[in-house]
Amino acid sequence: MQGVLGAFRELDSAVHAIEDLKKERVGDITVYTPTPRHEFEHAMEHGPSKVRVFTLIFGLAGVTFGYWIPVWISDYWPLVVGGKPIASWVPFTILGFEVMVLIGGLATVFAMFGFAGIPRLTTTVGYDPRFSSGHFGVWVEAEADTADKAMNILKKHGAEEVRRER
Amino acid sequence: MATSALPSGQRPNIPSAAVRFPAIKSYEQVDSDIAGTLGPSLGWFAALGIAILCMLIGATTWTYQIHEGLGAAGYQPPVMWGVYIVTFVFWVGIGHAGTLISAILYLFRAGFRTSIYRASEAMTVFAVMTAGLFPILHLGRPWKFFYLIPYPNWRLIWPNPKSPLVWDVFAILTYLTISSTFLYIGLIPDIAILRDREKNPIRKAILAQLSLGWRNSDREWRHFTRAYLFLAAFATPLVLSVHSVVSFDFAMALTPGWHATIFPPYFVAGAIFSGIGMVFTIAIPLRKAFKLEHYITLNDIDAAAKLCLFTSTVVGLAYLTEFQIAWMSGNPFEQDYFWNRVFGQWAWAAWIMLICNCVLPLSLWSQKLRRNTTWLFILSLFINLGMWFERFVIVVPSLSHEFEPWQWGTYRPTWVDYGILLGSFGWFFMWFLLFIKQLPVMAMAEIKEVLIPRMKHSHDPTPDLTEGIVHPDETGATH
Amino acid sequence: MTQDTKKSGVKRREFLKVLGASSATLAVTACEEPTGHLIPYLVSPDQTVPGVSTYYATTCRECSAGCGIISETRDGRSIKLEGNPDHPLNRGALCAKGQSALQGLYNPDRFKTPMVNENGAWKAITWDDAIARLSNAVSAAKPQAAGAVFINQHESGSFPRFLDGWLASFGMPAHLSVDFEADHAAIEANRRSYGAAWPALSFQDAKLIVSFGADFLDGWGASVPQQLDFADARAKLDGAPRFVYIGPRRSLTGLNADEWLACKPGSELAIANALSGKGSIDAAATESGVPAAALQRLATELAAAKPALVVSGVSGENALDVALAVAAINQASGAVGTTIKPAQALTGFEGIAHTDQVLAAVEKMRAGGVGIAFVRGANLAHALPKAANFAEAFAKVGFRVSFSNVPDETSELCNLIIPDLHSLEQWGDAEPVKGTIGLQQPAMDPVYPTLSKTVPAALGTADLLIQVSKKAGSANQPADYRTWLFTQIPGGTTAISAALPKGIVSGSLAARTIAAAATTPKSTSIASTQGDLTLITYHSPLLGDGRGANKPWLQELPDPVTKICWSSWVEIHPETAQRLGIDRGDILEVKTATGTVRAPAFVYLGVHKDAIAMPIGQGHRSKANVPDFQPKHDDSKQTQWGYGRYARGIGANALDILPLGTNAGGGMILTATKASISKTGDHRTLPSTEGSARQHGRGIAQAINAADLSKPPAERREEELPGDASHAFLPGLRSPVAADAQGDLGSPTSADQGKNKGMYAPNEERGMSKRRWAMTIDLARCTGCSACVTACYSENNIPTVGAYWQNATLFADARPGFNIERGREMNWIRLERYFEGNLDGKFGEDFEARFVPMMCQQCGNAPCEPVCPVYATYHAPDGLNVQVYNRCVGTRYCSNNCPYKVRYFNWFGYGEADRKQYAFPEPLNWQLNPDVTVRGKGVMEKCSFCVQRIRESENRAAAEHREMQGDEFTTACAQACPSRAITFGDAADPNWSVTQLIADRRAYHVFEELNAFTAVVYLKKVNHPAAGAAPARA
Repeated sequence: MQGVLGAFRELDSAVHAIEDLKKERVGDITVYTPTPRHEFEHAMEHGPSKVRVFTLIFGLAGVTFGYWIPVWISDYWPLVVGGKPIASWVPFTILGFEVMVLIGGLATVFAMFGFAGIPRLTTTVGYDPRFSSGHFGVWVEAEADTADKAMNILKKHGAEEVRRER
Repeated sequence: MATSALPSGQRPNIPSAAVRFPAIKSYEQVDSDIAGTLGPSLGWFAALGIAILCMLIGATTWTYQIHEGLGAAGYQPPVMWGVYIVTFVFWVGIGHAGTLISAILYLFRAGFRTSIYRASEAMTVFAVMTAGLFPILHLGRPWKFFYLIPYPNWRLIWPNPKSPLVWDVFAILTYLTISSTFLYIGLIPDIAILRDREKNPIRKAILAQLSLGWRNSDREWRHFTRAYLFLAAFATPLVLSVHSVVSFDFAMALTPGWHATIFPPYFVAGAIFSGIGMVFTIAIPLRKAFKLEHYITLNDIDAAAKLCLFTSTVVGLAYLTEFQIAWMSGNPFEQDYFWNRVFGQWAWAAWIMLICNCVLPLSLWSQKLRRNTTWLFILSLFINLGMWFERFVIVVPSLSHEFEPWQWGTYRPTWVDYGILLGSFGWFFMWFLLFIKQLPVMAMAEIKEVLIPRMKHSHDPTPDLTEGIVHPDETGATH
Repeated sequence: MTQDTKKSGVKRREFLKVLGASSATLAVTACEEPTGHLIPYLVSPDQTVPGVSTYYATTCRECSAGCGIISETRDGRSIKLEGNPDHPLNRGALCAKGQSALQGLYNPDRFKTPMVNENGAWKAITWDDAIARLSNAVSAAKPQAAGAVFINQHESGSFPRFLDGWLASFGMPAHLSVDFEADHAAIEANRRSYGAAWPALSFQDAKLIVSFGADFLDGWGASVPQQLDFADARAKLDGAPRFVYIGPRRSLTGLNADEWLACKPGSELAIANALSGKGSIDAAATESGVPAAALQRLATELAAAKPALVVSGVSGENALDVALAVAAINQASGAVGTTIKPAQALTGFEGIAHTDQVLAAVEKMRAGGVGIAFVRGANLAHALPKAANFAEAFAKVGFRVSFSNVPDETSELCNLIIPDLHSLEQWGDAEPVKGTIGLQQPAMDPVYPTLSKTVPAALGTADLLIQVSKKAGSANQPADYRTWLFTQIPGGTTAISAALPKGIVSGSLAARTIAAAATTPKSTSIASTQGDLTLITYHSPLLGDGRGANKPWLQELPDPVTKICWSSWVEIHPETAQRLGIDRGDILEVKTATGTVRAPAFVYLGVHKDAIAMPIGQGHRSKANVPDFQPKHDDSKQTQWGYGRYARGIGANALDILPLGTNAGGGMILTATKASISKTGDHRTLPSTEGSARQHGRGIAQAINAADLSKPPAERREEELPGDASHAFLPGLRSPVAADAQGDLGSPTSADQGKNKGMYAPNEERGMSKRRWAMTIDLARCTGCSACVTACYSENNIPTVGAYWQNATLFADARPGFNIERGREMNWIRLERYFEGNLDGKFGEDFEARFVPMMCQQCGNAPCEPVCPVYATYHAPDGLNVQVYNRCVGTRYCSNNCPYKVRYFNWFGYGEADRKQYAFPEPLNWQLNPDVTVRGKGVMEKCSFCVQRIRESENRAAAEHREMQGDEFTTACAQACPSRAITFGDAADPNWSVTQLIADRRAYHVFEELNAFTAVVYLKKVNHPAAGAAPARA
């Protein structure tokens, strides 16, 4: 994987650079930003995140499991306590809810990991420490031929630094 | 959002609708300011030492109690629950402000949350870690605590899912997991920042692992923000449920003074109230020590103080409602108990509770006091005291004055109870102190989110940030 | 071992000829090596199946009455004492004192060997040495033999005659048989009026019962038979006699009265005369301070009541006169033969030496005329007033021998101690009722056998004396005491071996011939003494004259009246207390001419406002220096002088401030002086189990007036209470489990739809779910004597927690009763004592006391069950609320949720031998019931309805392929109850008598409105208010 990395001081110039790169269809673009900005989301035109699906599915699984545990426990060894029904489902709602939150919540996190591609071992290619602090970075995947084009676009929009990486 | 009564722009450390952090000029400044707070100082070592000492005292006392039997503590039948359960509920309550601020206020888009939520989230996790100890150390046979957990065993003996104590186990463990996950997820981008600033290769490597190789790419941010939202959406009802479940420990019992339907909302309000109190107790000294006045602005404090005032009134209402229910119930046991609560042997505790939780917070009607951090700090200490006594008033007098007059009794804690109580504070502050020097007490990435980014040709006129910074006025923004 | 068994085999055959089956065990084990600790039998003798109890009928020696007891012996160890159902006196009941004899047998401070005091230091000696020393001493004392004194704790039967014979053989005078608790005035009056020391009293046949300070339920005479009869009388409900108590202090008996006339101390005589018509009502009223109207009413009542039963037990100087006056009233009302039955006299009270005889002996010692003195059982150094200065006199005696088997204040003054066997270890007899002989047989071999070859087994005093005689060379001595004894009992060995299982032989023993002692009253005029309050001292119903103080059960058992344990106290009336600014628990200094004592104040409605009352029995002190006591490791060398570890240093001895005086009956005057009290400024929380003495209208102890019983419910004057029982419907017995067993586990979501109900299934093989174990408690019968509590301690291995060392190790208070102050007592069944009426504590206004035995109510819908996180408590199919100790983690939530507060927690390792809080120091642990586990540290426990007995008889029935019989067995509390107030059984099976009682019109549940569906049904107390008096209100 090789490409061009441009570091911008200003937000708007980075955004314009992305718009141009998209127009020119240079290659896949990755934006590095210290903090999420809507400008980029618009520029990149991504769809909504799929994380929600996992949250829903595992939430439902959780609540089912959470109900099942106490019911099974109660019926496995039917002991009468306080003259209450052996499987008294009303209080079991509490366990159902807690387990739903537990499983649903954890599932959300792991789904996020999956989609966002973390944990990753290396951050070297196409990344610069500046991006975590103040600069906006634009990484364009470009073969040797398109690379110059990409670099020009980035420079034109006032990238503080532009470099090729592989 | 900014609720200042003052026209904006007059005082640079007072935010305006347009500018959240007037004194913060750039993203880089955020990093340097907050990352700068890391790294141990002499005072920090002293504080940590004291905390660890207290923790050790508690540990020793507990060891002694385990060896001797619970009789070493001040239990005095019929008061079978005492300081330990009181303190358990106290810490669980503390553990609610964090998630409230980070999750609920996040959903409500309450801006003042940004600067304080990381600290209070950490507080939550450590408070729950502390609270979680007490159900175990109040057991007659603590070495058998795992009987309460539905672990698969060859005899297939399970806990009793109808028991509120088992609900507790589920609720507390879930809450601990989710809130610590929530804390960690929020930390990832900031750890990445630290990683990128770190020179020392070893620390850098560790931080790199902790940051899970976070790169601030748009893809990561996209899913991150989503996940964070859903997690917040989960945490919100969780917060409410956990303290409701804790309140069931009492509400599900027949005991006069416990057996009340009002308990869940009443406990949740109390929890949030005590949590905000503890946030003040922690954030105000932190703000001073770490020179974070530009970040935790007076408006944030003002807003939090309003929340505190609100919950205080809710709690007060709950107290009155309890009495009204007892009065109208026509239940002699209930009535007798509540009369005994305020005028009987436990009057002193009840009045400490009422004054600390209902009377003193009324001072927050004054904006002058809301913005006076010194007063807020003192008040927060009173609130902590009052909330501890609220739980005391719920637990002890009810048990000491139950149905059976022949078994009415009293309660005197011993040095063992106090030792373990002290130890719990030591344990809590030990963790918190370790945290604030290792990891940022503020969400840098989120602060950047509300800053105005650098623009080449800005479409909207951003205010001139170049004017000199006036040192924030601690006494409040009035002339 | 084999050799021993062979030897014992020979012995066995020889014995079997003599004894018959039931005592073979003893014969064998009697000559074995010391009993091993883990397995008592290495070679199990015949007729003994390990793990199966053998029952030995024997006689109780804890008081002079001599009730019949049955010792349950398991594997050679006596583990429980129960009343002998065949015994005419106690008919199967047994009081707390009697049951605690077990702790005299297993007292950890018991002497293991004879001991000799050589120049101040005690050293253990062998039995042979002891016998030698004693016979030397006896022969040395020959010259002044006539001056010898033998003081013996009074007991009826043949031993006194044996003893006199022995003494005579050495030219010594007859022994003094002392019983300081006996009411000599009453005995004297009885002798004069009815010709018997103690005629049987029949309360059932009386139309009216009047007691002049006679506490016939707690210590006056033979409590158990009197209580049985009194309870039967009360059980006649609206037909029951009214009971009026006259006296300055309201004792347990007084609290059972329908009316209390609080007269000035000493004014009883005037009242008695007024009632008998010898004196004027008004004079009596002015002297006694009792309103004339009340006296007049009583006089008319008394005149109408034929027969009435009037008893007198006053302790003043005029005691005899009162007793005689009372006897006159009885004769007038035709009581003799109907309510007072000389024909069935209780012979146990014959031949008690007058106290003034004892004092005379003491004076003789002081004069130096006594060469040798023997003390057996009696503890004069403690039981005589300090004024008698016994120790100083005793020291003048040439040679002092004690036969006490536990260290006490008297034996520590002796030269030689040869421990007697406990009454459960040796042979004996008694004649409790004229014409009936109660046998006393060993229930086990001695706890501490000798290792000596010449003295095979530890000797009882009788056998020891025989040995001494033999050494002294006197001829024709019986082989041993048993042989001699059998010659004394009519019918001889054949009759005995036939009777041993039942324990009684009909016939009479030869009477002991003693010169009738001329009583020389040493009267003290109370009027002349200084002080503003009259001091009333009385023998504690539990500790007696102090004899019971070294038994943890009796120390832990709250006093039936004050509910205080492990302490002494000063009773003072609220008005007086208010006047002097005294609060409950203030340490008072009580001062008389003879000294001062300090004790905490107990503000009590039931004492005259011009008097204070102090119990006798505590205050055991030691003169010998006591080695530091290490409860953790019980060292045999650490003799706990001052009556043992449980008694020493607890409370004060009221006798220290009592001037010496005897009345015309020859008894000690216990109300002998005025006293002045002053606050010391100290205060202590009383070690009392009492929370609130008022039930705040909560209907725990309910009562109904006799007049209302017959009326239809609508017209009854009943208390309006939360959940006042509707008499038709008792939900407690509708066990929800039984409902489940009918085909549904209760929940539509239940997976099996009731198919797999496990043990709850109706066709479950043991048929458990067909049963509903239940209990009725008749408050009209219950007198609050607390025998049930001790029975429960004994049956269920309940630890006593009040000893001063049973507390935390670091920074903890080490004072007796500390755990009781903290409410940590473990009494599975407790006796609540509630006061009704006279809320503002005015003197002269009467009040009512109600007693409620409260134990686990075995709820159908038990609140404790669902809150337990680990199923440590759940509902058994037969309606029991089960507690699983091994599963319990000790959250104590169940106790919080128990409305009856009947669950008890093990705060310390009371059952762990290596802890200082250990409740059963060797050999006290021998008393433990093998059927019941000893609970560990940190678990919850509670009344189980004696589940071990339930399962035992279920299994027996199953093994014998039969259904369970009605009333086949009962719980320990019901078995012991001398009022027959408790009935246990299966509410679902009409064969059990409990089912009839449940249908009683007085039945109710406590806190019925909580819908706990309890299995314990209380029957309302029945009050008999005086005509025109206000009805009692809850």
